[in-house]
Amino acid sequence: MAEVSLQNVRKSFGAVDVIKGVDLQVNDGEFCVFVGPSGCGKSTLLRMIAGLEEISSGELKIGGKDMTKVPPSNRGVAMVFQSYALYPHMSVEENIGFGLKMAKVPKADIEARVAYASKMLQLDTLRQRKPGQLSGGQRQRVAIGRAIVREPGVFLFDEPLSNLDAALRVQMRTELSQLHQDLKSTMIYVTHDQIEAMTMADKIVVLSAGLIEQVGSPLELYHRPKNLFVAQFIGSPKMNVVPAKVAAVSGDIAHVSVDGGSMLALPLRGGKVSVGDVVSLGIRPEHMSVSSEGVMQATVKLAERLGSETMLHLSGPGGAAIIVRSDGLASEKPGDVVALTMPAGCCHLFDAAGIAIVNGALI
Amino acid sequence: MFPTAIEKTSKLTQTTYKAALPIAVLLWLLPLFAVALTSVRSIEDLNRGNFWGWPTSLNFVQNYTEVFTRSPMALFMLNSVIITLFAVAGTLILSCMAGYALAKYHFRGNLVLFSIFIAGNFVPFQILMIPVRTIMIDWIPLYDTVWALVLFHTAFQTGFCTLFMRNFIKQMPDALIEAARIEGITELKIFWHVVLPLVRPALAALAVLEFTFIWNDYFWSLVLVQSDEARPVTAGLQALKGQWLASWQLISAGSLIAAIPPVLIFFLMQRHFIAGLTLGATKE
Ligand SMILES: Nc1ncnc2c1ncn2[C@@H]1O[C@H](COP(=O)(O)OP(=O)(O)OP(=O)(O)O)[C@@H](O)[C@H]1O
Ligand SMILES: [Mg+2]
Repeated sequence: MAEVSLQNVRKSFGAVDVIKGVDLQVNDGEFCVFVGPSGCGKSTLLRMIAGLEEISSGELKIGGKDMTKVPPSNRGVAMVFQSYALYPHMSVEENIGFGLKMAKVPKADIEARVAYASKMLQLDTLRQRKPGQLSGGQRQRVAIGRAIVREPGVFLFDEPLSNLDAALRVQMRTELSQLHQDLKSTMIYVTHDQIEAMTMADKIVVLSAGLIEQVGSPLELYHRPKNLFVAQFIGSPKMNVVPAKVAAVSGDIAHVSVDGGSMLALPLRGGKVSVGDVVSLGIRPEHMSVSSEGVMQATVKLAERLGSETMLHLSGPGGAAIIVRSDGLASEKPGDVVALTMPAGCCHLFDAAGIAIVNGALI
Repeated sequence: MFPTAIEKTSKLTQTTYKAALPIAVLLWLLPLFAVALTSVRSIEDLNRGNFWGWPTSLNFVQNYTEVFTRSPMALFMLNSVIITLFAVAGTLILSCMAGYALAKYHFRGNLVLFSIFIAGNFVPFQILMIPVRTIMIDWIPLYDTVWALVLFHTAFQTGFCTLFMRNFIKQMPDALIEAARIEGITELKIFWHVVLPLVRPALAALAVLEFTFIWNDYFWSLVLVQSDEARPVTAGLQALKGQWLASWQLISAGSLIAAIPPVLIFFLMQRHFIAGLTLGATKE
């Protein structure tokens, strides 16, 4: 059992506060992904869990035990670094077995565990090679092997795939997911990559400037973002946001007028607005469509044809940039003026402070 | 790229280069060659003023034996070996550990300490002559023993070596050490099993350099040692001067003998200069 829990954890480097009070619960066996813009403190938080950075204040528990001040080696965690950090003078099997050897684990035992890990990671034939003689993906596998043999309760990954090319990244992504299913250990994974976060995570933690913005399953974050930051951070291309105003409220329906467009009736489902409120209307590119009559008019600026789909970059009323995900064979071309539909059940409303009032009714 | 590879320059430059190179090498080796020739001359040759011509007789065996019979040359060599080996070992051990600490541990005063190491290199060693001699006589009673030289060289050379090692180790990725730390490897074992193997090329280079420095030292051999029992070979050569006449043939022979160990060490350590040992440790 290795759940990880953080309580009001803070970190400052001198006068600079980098982590400003984080509460988080990662359950046993969960695959938890940290995402956030560069410099928001993802690596720092991970390194604090690993014990490589001191925790300035707050409490860290791993497997129910207080680990706030425990040295890295006694936390039962293993970490895979972005740079792999393989020992260049040791062969693959020495790299994998080094920690065990230093811990005076019996030779036969080491051999068995190294064999198990190298088989699992398809490194059997490379065991005598030095890291310098391996490809990026193979090095990454060795780094993972080194983590596996220690049989840790918690695996920590800091952008492990960011140095690999696109194809290899896709392959390693599925391999890592497979590994998680096989080992059933708790894994905490830092990434920049939307797709990695969405596809691998049981739970995504969105960080911004040292604070947690939202925690939830990938689909929860995608469809029910708590604020504009999360709404725009998760998803690619970004959620479209257009300024709007509440024109009338009748019961549970808000009538919202989009700047330069027509009226839209949105069910509030408990959300509170009053007439005259300035709000932001958010809708994902795939939920908008081009049709003969829509809520607003926009001009096509650019059509990115990806084959399976076409990304229409449009300029809406008042110059608002809007992206619509359309059919691969969509006929629109730059210069065309089109009307856009916005189904009410897909629309999100955010108040002036960026906090969600209503999320779409999709989930 | 600068300088331009010689193959890519004009014909004229290439020809000049190819002609000038052997000449430069010859000029460079000429004094050494003259010393080698002198070391096999007879004393009569020298008395007659035949300094540059071909020796009239080849006294190789006689001169080189005489070096050892006329002076306690074997003892001097032994002293030099003791002094150099201990001083080089001490210097390397200390500077490697100090360099590692300065490069990879964050502690208060780290930078100040490092600055002191750097500043120490700018002290002209001549001004240390009187104080060091006094220390060795009054405070650490090692004056006139090989250990005085071992201690002094170790202390003095550690400054430069620490600077060198610190900068070398600084380039090693922190992640390597952190990875080991998470694996539960103790700090000493990290130093021994991870850091040391990776700084081997630097250590080998330093070892050769320091061996040459310390072996060739003349100044401190004069300052800190008086008796033959503790004298290293550089200062010992003067015992071959002869009483009335300078015995250049013996001094030359002695000099060549004294020069052998540094040359040997260079060729011995050469195979350790493996560049790029850290290649593949981390992403480029
Ligand atoms: N040793 C340090 N001293 C001072 N500031 C630091 C230190 N390490 C990190 N920081 C600062 O802490 C902040 C968070 O850094 P961190 O490396 O955790 O970001 P990150 O979210 O991992 O970013 P990236 O996605 O670019 O890797 C940054 O603003 C960084 O400048
Ligand atoms: Mg980072």
